[in-house]
Amino acid sequence: MPLIALEGLTKRYRAGVTALDGLTLELEPGIIGLVGANGAGKSTMLKLLLGLLEPTAGSIKVLDMDVKTHGPQIREFVGYMPEHDCLPPEASATDFVGHMAQMSGLPRTAARERTAEVLRHVGLYEERYRAIGGYSTGMKQRVKLAQALVHDPRLLLLDEPTNGLDPAGRDEMLDLVRRTGTEFGIAVVLASHLLGEIERVCNYLVAIDNGRLLRAAALGTFTEHTGVLAVEVEEGRERLAGALTSNGLEVVEDGRLVLVALQGEGTYDVVRDAVVDLGLPLVRIEQRRHSLEDLFRDDPSPEAPEAPAA
Amino acid sequence: MTASNAPLRASGPGGSIYDLGYQGYSGPRLGRAYAVRALFAHTLRSAYGIGRGGRAKIIPFGLAALPLLIAVIGVGIAALAKQAGELGSIVEESSPIRYAAFSGLISTFVILFCAAQGPELLGRDQRYGVLPLYFSRALARVDYSLAKVAGMMVALLILIVLPYLVLFVGRVFVADSPVDGLAAELPSVPPLVAQSLLTAGVLGSLAMVVSAHTPRRAYATVGIIAALLIPSIVVAVLHEEAFGRVGDLLVLLSPTDVLDGLNAALFDTAAGSPVVVDIDLPGYAYLASAIVGTVLFVALTIRRFQRISA
Repeated sequence: MPLIALEGLTKRYRAGVTALDGLTLELEPGIIGLVGANGAGKSTMLKLLLGLLEPTAGSIKVLDMDVKTHGPQIREFVGYMPEHDCLPPEASATDFVGHMAQMSGLPRTAARERTAEVLRHVGLYEERYRAIGGYSTGMKQRVKLAQALVHDPRLLLLDEPTNGLDPAGRDEMLDLVRRTGTEFGIAVVLASHLLGEIERVCNYLVAIDNGRLLRAAALGTFTEHTGVLAVEVEEGRERLAGALTSNGLEVVEDGRLVLVALQGEGTYDVVRDAVVDLGLPLVRIEQRRHSLEDLFRDDPSPEAPEAPAA
Repeated sequence: MTASNAPLRASGPGGSIYDLGYQGYSGPRLGRAYAVRALFAHTLRSAYGIGRGGRAKIIPFGLAALPLLIAVIGVGIAALAKQAGELGSIVEESSPIRYAAFSGLISTFVILFCAAQGPELLGRDQRYGVLPLYFSRALARVDYSLAKVAGMMVALLILIVLPYLVLFVGRVFVADSPVDGLAAELPSVPPLVAQSLLTAGVLGSLAMVVSAHTPRRAYATVGIIAALLIPSIVVAVLHEEAFGRVGDLLVLLSPTDVLDGLNAALFDTAAGSPVVVDIDLPGYAYLASAIVGTVLFVALTIRRFQRISA
């Protein structure tokens, strides 16, 4: 049973803006990173999963239930941490999180116990009896995470959870998210525009850009070898490129590097022979790795054959 | 779903602290119906500032205490009248604190309660962005609206019924014997109940529909008072200017006049407002207006929260 199944999911806002455009995707439980630039459609996607927004077209299944027909049942088992402020300033963290637990269907006493447990877990202690209005940004983010976790959801949706945090707070928040996913067995979808955060925490990655699915795969496959050889020589770059081209290879010059499309094991020999024939001082030959940033690059520099399918 | 690895142990002279890690929740999840009931109870408590600190209680409790005071005075007058023998019947007749007049006597406090507490109940969640947290939980948007409106209506009902109850019980025991007292007072119960229910329905739903449409407390408060007072003034002016029968029918759009007319019809007495007396519409016209108005206000409140973006 997939955790989340999207079929042709499209969302257009009334102003004519297309936030999501025909997304089809199946996700298995894990810590899933949802990356994209601001405005790529990340928040829209989370809200569609919760039924906070109605899709323009397509269908959404979460925990094997249709969002359209089983909204409240799904949301009993989903926790959501919105991007923006969502806490009433004059309530205490204990009262507010306890109330939210009841709103998820937990009986009163269980709601209280879970509140104490989850606030301790996110690292709020004595201050949990004080009004939220007096909290620092970091403490507020913890309360937001606590209210999303209080009913022990099976799926946790986090929208930019490190927003506004200083580096230390960011580390702590990411650590909490990682532990939630690995130790507690709660599936997590983490939306962020910061690839570094995704890399640290997630094991699966969904990249969207302008409302379209760029790629969805295990995180490792994003950083695997590409089909491109980078050759660095101290001089004679043009001559080398010319020689390789005349040998029938696809070549792009990129700064001090000559990028060569890898066509098989033979390509290494051709490059080696060309360097020897021209008598060039060779610095290195290496197979390039993808970096996550490549995903969002407009012109993936080497016009190499597509990276091997994952 | 295992808890964290081995319990961390920190031994010291004071004892040991065990980090038991994250505990899942396997207890009951009572779902949507329970969440709605819990939100209703929370709204009712909030209407009286319960669970919201001392200062939040001053206005609602103050406004609830004053009608009670009037009822106690009413009982006192009844007791005095009985002691006074023959003169008593004159005192009793001329006492302004009678069932039929009571609705008018406490209407100011009821209106102030609406204007003060309605915006508290619906404005805060909009102002602080809490709605996404509600709508991503076990309840649906329509549940949120209905639980909030019902909470306000019941809060008003308490405000209205409690002094009636004091007056009723007081008068029963002031009588020669409680049996005689009951026999004398019981016929007033059906109109009391009807008037209380209709007042709570009309004013509660009106306070909520206005509060639903703005996150700003000041606007909502002014809006509620305006919605209650301005139609009454307009009707009075139009009646003076003799717009004829058609103009008079506008009285059915003035909530306070409708409740006044209803009260007069239920207790078979003259209305408090001379304009309502003069216009002299049948009771069922006021009843129809009260019911249509309540249904319309509730429907508009629901529509607002169906559409509001979260």
